[in-house]
Amino acid sequence: MNSVSRSRRRRLSAAAVLGAIALTATACGGGGGSGEGDTVVIGYTGPLSGGGAAYGENVKIGLEMAIDDLNADGVEVDGNPVTLELKSLDDKYAPSTAASNAQRLADQDKAPVVVSPNAGAIKAIQQINSGRSNFLVSAYTSDPAIVQADNPLTMMIPPNFESYAEEFSETAMEHGGKKLALLGTQSEYGQQWTKSIKDAWSEAGGKIGGDNSVDYATVSDFAGPVSKALSEKPDAIFVGGPSQPTALIMEEARKQGFKGSFLVMDQAKLDEMATVTKLDNLKNSVGVLPVSEYEDPGTEDFLKKFAEKAGEKKVPTSETALNYQGIAIIAKAMEAAGTTDDPEKIREAISEALPDVDDKYKVNGFPDEITEQGHLLNPNLEATFLNEDGKYTKVPIEQVSDEK
Amino acid sequence: MTLFIQQLFNGLALGGVYCLAAIGLTLVFGVLRIPNLAHGALYMLGAYITYFFLTTVGVPYIAAIGIAAIMLFIVGVGLERLVFHPLRNSPHTHHMIAAVGAMFFFQALAQAIWGADFRRMDTPITGELRILGAEISAQRIVIIVTAVIVLALLALFIKRSIHGQTIEAIEQDRVGASLVGINPSMVSMLTLGLSALLATIAAGLVAPINLLSPTMGDALNLKVFAIIILGGLGSLPGAIVGGFALAIAETMTATYISSAVGEAVAFIVLVAVLAIKPNGLFTKAVQR
Repeated sequence: MNSVSRSRRRRLSAAAVLGAIALTATACGGGGGSGEGDTVVIGYTGPLSGGGAAYGENVKIGLEMAIDDLNADGVEVDGNPVTLELKSLDDKYAPSTAASNAQRLADQDKAPVVVSPNAGAIKAIQQINSGRSNFLVSAYTSDPAIVQADNPLTMMIPPNFESYAEEFSETAMEHGGKKLALLGTQSEYGQQWTKSIKDAWSEAGGKIGGDNSVDYATVSDFAGPVSKALSEKPDAIFVGGPSQPTALIMEEARKQGFKGSFLVMDQAKLDEMATVTKLDNLKNSVGVLPVSEYEDPGTEDFLKKFAEKAGEKKVPTSETALNYQGIAIIAKAMEAAGTTDDPEKIREAISEALPDVDDKYKVNGFPDEITEQGHLLNPNLEATFLNEDGKYTKVPIEQVSDEK
Repeated sequence: MTLFIQQLFNGLALGGVYCLAAIGLTLVFGVLRIPNLAHGALYMLGAYITYFFLTTVGVPYIAAIGIAAIMLFIVGVGLERLVFHPLRNSPHTHHMIAAVGAMFFFQALAQAIWGADFRRMDTPITGELRILGAEISAQRIVIIVTAVIVLALLALFIKRSIHGQTIEAIEQDRVGASLVGINPSMVSMLTLGLSALLATIAAGLVAPINLLSPTMGDALNLKVFAIIILGGLGSLPGAIVGGFALAIAETMTATYISSAVGEAVAFIVLVAVLAIKPNGLFTKAVQR
């Protein structure tokens, strides 16, 4: 008797809960349509927990800053005011999770654009973004395989990493010498970089020692790998992974007496590295130009706003700055296309929208064209050499083609 | 030769850290009979709390490690009371799932408090020593010396003190120990507390030469499991020998063969031990 009434009670409460959910759902649907202007969801799937969380957070800050600024300025599509809204999902760096997150954002939240900051994830998303679902993927990765895939709904934001190898090699050779040691990280991206540097270095007539790549995420003490790399008596060392462990490796190399030059992979940012080690340990290095060294029209204000949002101590990186630019480009393309829900038209309108983007959103090498495959190209790409006086000198980079 | 000396010291320092972390894990296995998968997370938490006292509060380095170790002892006791004790009569899979849950909880907690960014802990111990031509940083010497002292104290505690002896008694025979009046529940709490305390000392020592992040315990977790399986689950000498052996094997193969093999050596050893001598080098536990 008792059990019967309990099960009935449970069924009743289940029905009540369902009813409540249904009510809220209709209420939400009604609210969205009748408000002042439409709300458009910008989707974001990235690592927000686990080992890549810091990276994912940096990207997210850029997206949030852009959306706040754009909403404050007002976005108007086809005569109607539009409010942008960011919806973020955690994919813990797993491509399969990223793809299902992207699908969810596109189907449930009707996001016309999904941002993803990881090559593997983007490749997975490219399987579903034009076909099963329909959305533009705003791709934050410098792996050219993304645009080689010929996906019609891809916008690749950063420069192709292969562009750096030649200039990095020449600069490092000039300031160090002919013998290179390889001490990059063992991630897939790190290995692509290692290969690219290896090719450029031998082409420039240098010698290369054994491959001493280590997994920056799992090594407890960098002294061992560094001692080994130094035993080859190199004049230059290729390093790179996330900024902070890279800084530790360079510090250890200087401690063990290395005097030559460093080639620093683009994942590591010299100014961010200076927060964990002395600048002295980083001198004589070629790497990507810190955001704060850019002289674009919007850079100064961007740096101020970033400090307000993330705190004075945090260093703004290109993950934040380039994604900030990326969302501004997408918003402008929506305006130019006159639609917020047709990704094809938005993608098509990017090229015509680029010159119209407000100067305040130009912060980190603003692109002036988008290739047919969807790669945003900044005409004046620059890297940097951190010299003996601790000053960043600019190194112009000639961009290579994205073709294989 | 210089390279060899250099790498030997690097290996010994790494071994000290592995040992301190592995001993706690093996003790917990001996007493509670569970693989505590949250061990790496306790190590991570220990590092962050040391960092907090050293950098934010500003107490001296050694004191910061001491305070953090005591706090982690309490966390360990709490973990036993709140998670493992209520599950003591359930099947073993439940412990493992609970431990994984605790691991994610601690990681999320650290990320919520300290953020996902890497953090650097500066140490007052600076400078290098020249030993037979090799440059060894003072911090690594401190790691080796502290590890030896802590291990000696631990051995003394377990062999000579009443509380320590109860741990060994429970390891040998839980029912028998209860019959002579030892409270297994108290011993379980003491053991988990002790294991968290040792992990914190290891973390406090290694943090200045590495970085803090919420996932810093993951890599160590895998290594220490390999070590205690190599040494024999539940065996103290096994954990010590295993810790140093694995660390030196790792640095030496990375130096003389390749870094990739160095990374894999722990798991090659693990597979070999499981195939040839499944009970580990120092067979002790796993009788029941």
